[in-house]
Amino acid sequence: MPIKILTVDDSKTIRLIIAKAFKPFDCEVLEASNGVEGLAMAAKEKPHIIILDLTMPVMDGYEALTKLKSDPDLKSIPVVMLTAESGRENVLRIAKQGVRDYLVKPFKEELIVERVSRIIDLKPKGVTVPKARRFDDPVSILVVDDKPAICEQVRLGLGDTQWTVLGRGQAGEAIDYCGRTVPDVVIVSLSLPDNSAYSLFQMLRSQQKSKGTPVFAMCVKTAVDDQTRAQQTGFTGIITKPIDFEDVKMKIARALSLDTSYKYFEHRDGVLWIKLPSGFSQSTANEVSAHLRSKVAEAVDAGLGKVIFDVSPLKSADLSLIKLGLDVMQFCQEMSLRLRMVGNGAVSAECRKYEETKDWSFLGSFDEAVAALNGRESVAA
Amino acid sequence: MIDQLDELVTQAVARAFDTMLNLKVAAEPADAAVWNGEPHVAGSVGFIGRLTGVVYIYSTASFARRITCQLLGLNDEEIDGEEMVNDAIGELTNMVVGQIKSQLSDRGMPCVLTIPSIVRGSHFVVEAVTSTTRRVSTFRCGEHRLAVETLIKTS
Repeated sequence: MPIKILTVDDSKTIRLIIAKAFKPFDCEVLEASNGVEGLAMAAKEKPHIIILDLTMPVMDGYEALTKLKSDPDLKSIPVVMLTAESGRENVLRIAKQGVRDYLVKPFKEELIVERVSRIIDLKPKGVTVPKARRFDDPVSILVVDDKPAICEQVRLGLGDTQWTVLGRGQAGEAIDYCGRTVPDVVIVSLSLPDNSAYSLFQMLRSQQKSKGTPVFAMCVKTAVDDQTRAQQTGFTGIITKPIDFEDVKMKIARALSLDTSYKYFEHRDGVLWIKLPSGFSQSTANEVSAHLRSKVAEAVDAGLGKVIFDVSPLKSADLSLIKLGLDVMQFCQEMSLRLRMVGNGAVSAECRKYEETKDWSFLGSFDEAVAALNGRESVAA
Repeated sequence: MIDQLDELVTQAVARAFDTMLNLKVAAEPADAAVWNGEPHVAGSVGFIGRLTGVVYIYSTASFARRITCQLLGLNDEEIDGEEMVNDAIGELTNMVVGQIKSQLSDRGMPCVLTIPSIVRGSHFVVEAVTSTTRRVSTFRCGEHRLAVETLIKTS
């Protein structure tokens, strides 16, 4: 549903200026010339935001606002007042009615766009949904910490990715940098002086071009109060020190919706190969599970009828692996796919200890599993 | 308060022109001749309250068209009749007087604004009645001239 902006102003000039200001954005600007028309239009169209003039004939903006806020169906629509009258009394009177913002004429078009985009998510017109980025695509990360060693640590910790890590020592330097180039992700230390981490966060959120940028707060694991405050402020997430870089990668991937499925799912030799990494953990299990159903369906759609579940890099089997294995088996049975498992002696030995997995049999390599599947052997488990 | 009106008018006109039109205006001596015989347009907005009066902003018809183009981001040929110019000049006048009104209210003289109106013509004069103070400020904006006349009821 396109974003709807309702401008209520008796001046056609103002309505034209508003329409012009929002023309570059993917939204529809609706017009009304007084409070009565505005309320009727709001009830009919349910706009995402109303830009309301104060002095109008028939019904002025103050009365329209009062009626709007007393209507259960309309009261949640955010209202920005736009008026030529900026006297303290007026501002106070209107503020009491619960307007989201107040703009005084004369105004710059950029200003009204800026204020409205703080409330609703405006997207430039003609922007197509970008192709999903992959985990191994380049990602720019700005680390803001007054201790250069931390920036270096992050750089080294993410060194096995294609990601670029840039360091800045102060919030002011980061603001300058973001004014020129908005990074994909910002990690800011909460220990920066004068609460400047929060100032940086607010600045990034107030700018149209960086309002959607994930911003992570970084602090020591024991600083619980800092973590709570950061969460309440709206930071995308918390990164605690000492830093668990696998966790950081996962959080960034999630925040940027990076496709990680290619790490675990591959079509090879006519088989869907589900391969788990040596650093398998609960979060890896969650990630594989999140893609499992769609990837199995995709394989069926591509004409593949065989699956290999490869746990050979793992050194042991835990409950998260067992649960994942059972899910894989269930999906394969549902889709009538033939399944073989690849594993090592240690994993095989551990699986024999559990009732649910004691019958699991593992082959030694992918090639052996392919041969077994092509020999039309019975389904594993 | 009336003594401060000239300054309020100058600030309000400069701000409205700069913000809305991206045009700089410079104050000129109040007796500078504004008209060159061309038809002109006057936008007016009144204020009623502790201080009561009316503000007229005069420009030539050609400057009014230019203001409209600048305000709406249009070319001259895109202007759809005089109604569009009237509305633009009325709104600009409203913005100027709105600023003055806010300043007056904050200084203990609350008032309300009237809706804008427009007068067009070549030869007309607004005559102040007795017990009315009349102030005129004139401005240059590039090759164009602008006059702001303020009438305040003093009784």
